[in-house]
Amino acid sequence: MGIDETTARAVAGLARLELAGTGEGDVRALVEEFSRIVGYMDILAEADTEGVEPLYSPMVDPEPPRPDEPALDGRKAEDILGQAPERVGRFFSVPRVF
Amino acid sequence: MTELWRLGLGQAAQGLAKRQFTATDLVSASLERIRLSEPRLGACLAVLGQEALDRARDLDREGHDPSRPLWGLPVSVKDVFCLKGAPTTAGSRILEDYRPSFEATVVRRLRAAGAVIVAKTNCDEFAMGSSTEFSAFGPTRNPWDPGRVPGGSSGGAAASVAGFQVPAGLGTDTGGSIRQPAALCGCLGLKPTYGRVSRYGIVAYGSSFDQAGPLARRVDDLGLVLAAIAGPDGLDSTASGRPVGDYANVAEARPGELTLGLPDELWAADFDPLVLGVLERARRELAGAGVRFKAVPMPNLRFSVATYYILAAAEASTNLARYDGVRYGHRSGGDPGLLALYRDSRTEGLGQEVRRRIMLGTFVLSSGYYEAYFRKAAQVRRLIQEDYRKALEGCDFLLAPVSSIPAWPFGSFTDDPLTAYQLDMMTLPLNLVGAPGLSMPAGLGGGLPVGLQLMGRAFDEAGLLSAAKALERILPPLGDPPGL
Repeated sequence: MGIDETTARAVAGLARLELAGTGEGDVRALVEEFSRIVGYMDILAEADTEGVEPLYSPMVDPEPPRPDEPALDGRKAEDILGQAPERVGRFFSVPRVF
Repeated sequence: MTELWRLGLGQAAQGLAKRQFTATDLVSASLERIRLSEPRLGACLAVLGQEALDRARDLDREGHDPSRPLWGLPVSVKDVFCLKGAPTTAGSRILEDYRPSFEATVVRRLRAAGAVIVAKTNCDEFAMGSSTEFSAFGPTRNPWDPGRVPGGSSGGAAASVAGFQVPAGLGTDTGGSIRQPAALCGCLGLKPTYGRVSRYGIVAYGSSFDQAGPLARRVDDLGLVLAAIAGPDGLDSTASGRPVGDYANVAEARPGELTLGLPDELWAADFDPLVLGVLERARRELAGAGVRFKAVPMPNLRFSVATYYILAAAEASTNLARYDGVRYGHRSGGDPGLLALYRDSRTEGLGQEVRRRIMLGTFVLSSGYYEAYFRKAAQVRRLIQEDYRKALEGCDFLLAPVSSIPAWPFGSFTDDPLTAYQLDMMTLPLNLVGAPGLSMPAGLGGGLPVGLQLMGRAFDEAGLLSAAKALERILPPLGDPPGL
């Protein structure tokens, strides 16, 4: 199927992205290219998948989950918080939402 | 004495064991090669010079340890592997300042085996690409022709190995990202079975496809690295508990006892004549040595590009949702508001190709399109896996080309993503199926390396290496890249 600019903008919104290029006229080019790529994917309509179980992972033998115990790898909260671009004390900081 | 940087991993290990040179000698030689060749290759995003030398000296002080198979050997790792406290960018601006507080399991295992990590190698951003041109930190150049791409996404790893900076490197392969750059640069690359190697601490792209594996210049060296990194891991439930084979000591297969399946759909591609010439010559040489061939139909492979790009993009859109400017990575200082923070941090921090794949993945997972694209692709993935199983009936391994064209000039496909995706068609099937495979040099065409790909059954890496050793003896060595 073809993708128009309205759909492309809606998808970008869902993906938390700006539909943006580097200059004027880029948005139209991006939409056309996106449309072309999605159009190519339509080749799958030719595959006969009647009754075929989807394969989401090729994992052969999943391991059982490990015991639900805290990791004792020596990491501290500060190791994680220290990566935050902005923080307030022991918290990650985000803009006010209300 | 041979220049130390020329030695393969196994050769260097023997020299260390015989005390012909020290770990410090070997690591210094590797760092010197990196210093001399980097202006030409651009294979490394970070060179861990002081740290590597310190570690080599520590090893020398402790004395040679025969129980550690990679003792004192310099290796590079692709910049998607987390190294505690070291830059780990995955080729992206959004992770430019990120310093992990933990190590990838494979990195921990390399170090435990005695390896010295000397560099982190360049790659397409988040491993999304087949040329390393989509690295946010500039391209890597092909050792055989600096005007051409090294392939990708593990292009830095392939160039570092083929350019003799290191005897082996670690890459990741989501849709061919180890095998294709190895082929285009003229070295070998192994993608293990999905689940053979832990993915813990690897920057995620497509989690049902991603698998780490070695690049090297000899089959034996692939086995040495695989033996060190394979096996179950309490930190990744997809890492299988199956026994790890003796990959470092496989016997060479007898060519006369090998039957190789030739997938019709891959051999019927539209080849560059120079590539086709090398492939046909290689097949004649293998047949002359007694290898038998059998044509095998795999009709659903014509869907593999669409299937892969739908599923991998869907997984990428989910995996990359974590980059939001809040917990780590780039944060935009622009518009106020939480949604604007997410949107602007991601748009500023992620490159065009990554944003394109996130868009595609978001689209195929969205309400109204999920059934027609995402679920449909997962069903076709099952059909391709079934084709693969049937193709292996009556033969030992499959043999296929890796790329229909040799390394291409920079910029050839950067404005044509769909054509670039279609160029991946030889390598994608293996990732869709989850099986192991390796690529190895078949010869030179027009002065550029051409690769062949062996594909096997799940968890038969030992068999794959054994057959590859036989092929390695038959196929002509490439020699050195010019200007080495």
